[in-house]
Amino acid sequence: MAVSLATRLVRRRSPPLLWRRSFSMSAVDAEKEVVVVPELPPFDYSPPPYAGPTAEEILAKRREYLSPSILHSYKNPVNIVEGKKQYLFDEKGRRYVDAFGGIATVCCGHCHHDVVEAIVNQTKKLQHSTVLYLNHAITDFAQALASKLPSDLKVVFFTNSGTEANELAMLIARLYTGCHDIISLRNAYHGNATGTMAATAQSIWKFNVVQSGVHHAVNPDPYRGIFGSDGEKYARDVQDIINFGTSGNVAAFISEAIQGVGGIIELAPGYLPVVYNAIKKAGGLFIADEVQAGFGRTGSHFWGFEAHNVVPDIVTIAKGIGNGIPLGAVVTTPEIAEVLTRRSYFNTFGGNPVCTAAGLAVLKVIEKEQLQQNAFVVGSHLKERLTALKDKYELIGDVRGRGLMLGVELVTDRELKTPAKNETLHVMDQMKELGVLIGKGGYYGNVFRITPPLCFTKEDADFVADAMDLTLSRM
Amino acid sequence: MAMVKRSIGVCKRLSGSSSCLSTSTATSDNDIARRLQLPPFDYKPRPYKGPLADEVFAKRKKFLGPSLFHFYQKPLNIVEGKMQYLFDENGRRYLDAFAGIVTISCGHCHPEVLNAIMEQSKLLQHTTTIYLHHAIADFAEALASKVPGNLKVVYFVNSGSEANDLAMLMARLYTGNMGMISLRNAYHGGSSSTIGLTAMNTWKYPIPEGEVHHIMNPDPYRGIFGSDANRYARELQDHIDYGTSGKVAGFIAETIQGAGGAVELAPGYLKLVYDIVHKAGGVCIADEVQCGFARTGSHFWGFETQGVIPDIVTMAKGIGNGLPLAAVVTTPEIASVMAQKLQFNTFGGNPVCSAGGLAVLRVLDKEKRQSHCADVGSHLIQRLRSLMQIHDIIGDVRGRGLMVGIEFVTDRKEKTPAKAETTALHERFRELGILVGKGGLHGNVFRIKPPMCFTKDDADFVVDALDYAISKL
Repeated sequence: MAVSLATRLVRRRSPPLLWRRSFSMSAVDAEKEVVVVPELPPFDYSPPPYAGPTAEEILAKRREYLSPSILHSYKNPVNIVEGKKQYLFDEKGRRYVDAFGGIATVCCGHCHHDVVEAIVNQTKKLQHSTVLYLNHAITDFAQALASKLPSDLKVVFFTNSGTEANELAMLIARLYTGCHDIISLRNAYHGNATGTMAATAQSIWKFNVVQSGVHHAVNPDPYRGIFGSDGEKYARDVQDIINFGTSGNVAAFISEAIQGVGGIIELAPGYLPVVYNAIKKAGGLFIADEVQAGFGRTGSHFWGFEAHNVVPDIVTIAKGIGNGIPLGAVVTTPEIAEVLTRRSYFNTFGGNPVCTAAGLAVLKVIEKEQLQQNAFVVGSHLKERLTALKDKYELIGDVRGRGLMLGVELVTDRELKTPAKNETLHVMDQMKELGVLIGKGGYYGNVFRITPPLCFTKEDADFVADAMDLTLSRM
Repeated sequence: MAMVKRSIGVCKRLSGSSSCLSTSTATSDNDIARRLQLPPFDYKPRPYKGPLADEVFAKRKKFLGPSLFHFYQKPLNIVEGKMQYLFDENGRRYLDAFAGIVTISCGHCHPEVLNAIMEQSKLLQHTTTIYLHHAIADFAEALASKVPGNLKVVYFVNSGSEANDLAMLMARLYTGNMGMISLRNAYHGGSSSTIGLTAMNTWKYPIPEGEVHHIMNPDPYRGIFGSDANRYARELQDHIDYGTSGKVAGFIAETIQGAGGAVELAPGYLKLVYDIVHKAGGVCIADEVQCGFARTGSHFWGFETQGVIPDIVTMAKGIGNGLPLAAVVTTPEIASVMAQKLQFNTFGGNPVCSAGGLAVLRVLDKEKRQSHCADVGSHLIQRLRSLMQIHDIIGDVRGRGLMVGIEFVTDRKEKTPAKAETTALHERFRELGILVGKGGLHGNVFRIKPPMCFTKDDADFVVDALDYAISKL
């Protein structure tokens, strides 16, 4: 494939010329302008030959036996059979840079030795018992996790997913305040169970079933929002909702520091502190959904909310917490946590020995390998390179995010910000052919989400940028 | 009361005391107050022999719910009513500029309405809709003839809350969707379901309210987009895109927000919004509980001022001049969803209320109340706007016909609600003999929504009194 790509003759054009392939080159010019196809950074590993079912067979079985709602990326979905660090391998042994991290989930790297070892060892020793009996794995991890959180956020509840964590956080807030109303942001994604689907705010993720008790505030989106980067003006909408849409008291405000599914949207500066004050005055709690932005991914901080100078009352965690193992957590204060003693609360698999051993291993790896720092260094470099691409190609309307949580929004008209949906799909497919697996998001599906394993290197970042550059130059 | 200086002139008239000193200042006040006379009214109330205000108040506090609130430091004991006037236990007359909260449409104890009620009561007070009776059918026919389009099917209930509750049920059944949309600053009822549609924290108890979305109010005065209907409509589209499944059950709005302080919707707003809601699979509900029945002057229904035809119309208050009566009018197609199950309302459409409602419609037509509202209302608004020119505390004058709001602010630029001043003016008005409503989230809006037999002289009296009262702050 690389060889055939290399023989394609394409000349790079500068904006704002038409995005059209030129066929006017003479033979002599063609020879001079041979395109250099970016090469994957070196990686000293060869996967063993794959002898399992082919992509076609698997796709057929998925269609026959699995829910029709299961989605897949790419015209020809890729059959991934092995993973190592920041790379994935398909059925033919082809290597890809995983710039999506299984949706911001694999934070230490695929099959990280330390994490795998922790899982295997615990599985051999005791796979599952129940929290009705004691075991040190859950307490060791809870202590380690709590030590990462500021202030009085010291009590941990374990769940099996971000959705479960957010469901529990919302329940706790309602019990603690005696109020029912919760405020979330438009464009947010907080889960797809009944309660969290209400908090989620994108029509494509909301089934037409009863969803109540949640209000959706105007999104403080610096790029598309009506008030640009003026955080305070957006915050007035939250106060308006409290004044008019509730009894004047609310249970909670919940938000992602950087909206993941929503297309890596950072909150307008100054927004969160003003909202925090409004919520407090209304007797509510602030829930920080750190399912995607947590665990050092933003580079500058361990938690996304730390960039906004507010300390939440409740933090929800999942995805990266276990490098892919089914694990979520809710961390709050002892005072708030007390509400769950009013009735029985139980979660069968929550805090099970295998998952908590893995979670603890993840924390140790992030620390030992300085992955937060790496996210900062490599993320800054990548953002810089992507921003340079924006200067080069009109199709890139916005580059945003922090650390290794980055978004690239494609638009066909920069002034109108018209979502470039088809172009996004095309670029995604072409980048896959070049060896990059990238995420897609945003309400219009026109935003590339770059949330790779935190062991991503500068060479990987350059490769992603080069692949995008080449692909865009060919449009 | 410390904020209000007592007028010597008023004191003299009220108490009849000859001990008030006469000074040059007092003379000036006295002259002004003397000219502030209620328009002449040829009626003398009967001497009142019932319990006094203090006794009634004590019993209210003891036997009635603590949420029952009252106006005025010393609550009024109203014992008699005639047309646009009310009388207290002392026989003192008041101009009723609030009409029992926009309910007395024809006037207190209008003889034709009273007669219809009494005659029907003597003949048959109550039976049940499982038997036939002509009163409900006659009234339904007359009511349907007033509503445009294919809105021809009438359901009778007993209150605006019940009507809005039923409308919401219809919307959900008809569309198969659950999400309702209402405007911030709206009031649609206080029952446990309509409290969801209501959007002012002062009226909302903290209970689950089902799926209701409260969207930005297209308020020309306080709204962030001023009178730009397009931008408010875009906000609704944004909310549907992000905050719902893309499908909604219905959108409900008062064309002029009553409890919210007589806020008119930005011109052209409903047309845009109805289109958006229909595309989202929803129906549009016009809450005409306060702005219906000719009150806006230019039209019989408030929604007609925005050039739209809703899918469902709810009405109450003025429909029966004070009778417990309300209705939901919709299309045959939408109405048919109610046949899926049993639906019944014991008192809905009872003979006495139907006869009363029919009489109201006849009076409104015969006495040409719609054009009268246009005349007197525009005169009133015009005079109030003149007053706004000379008194900075008046931040906004708005409304149509005899549905008028005056918003008081301490800073015109900041639009700071003048709560204390509004309360002081409210008390002063009572002293001068005018009962007016108060509204808006901050209680800083005077609501002037009198019986529609209100005259230009009454309007002039209100404006003159306001001019005087503000000068005394």
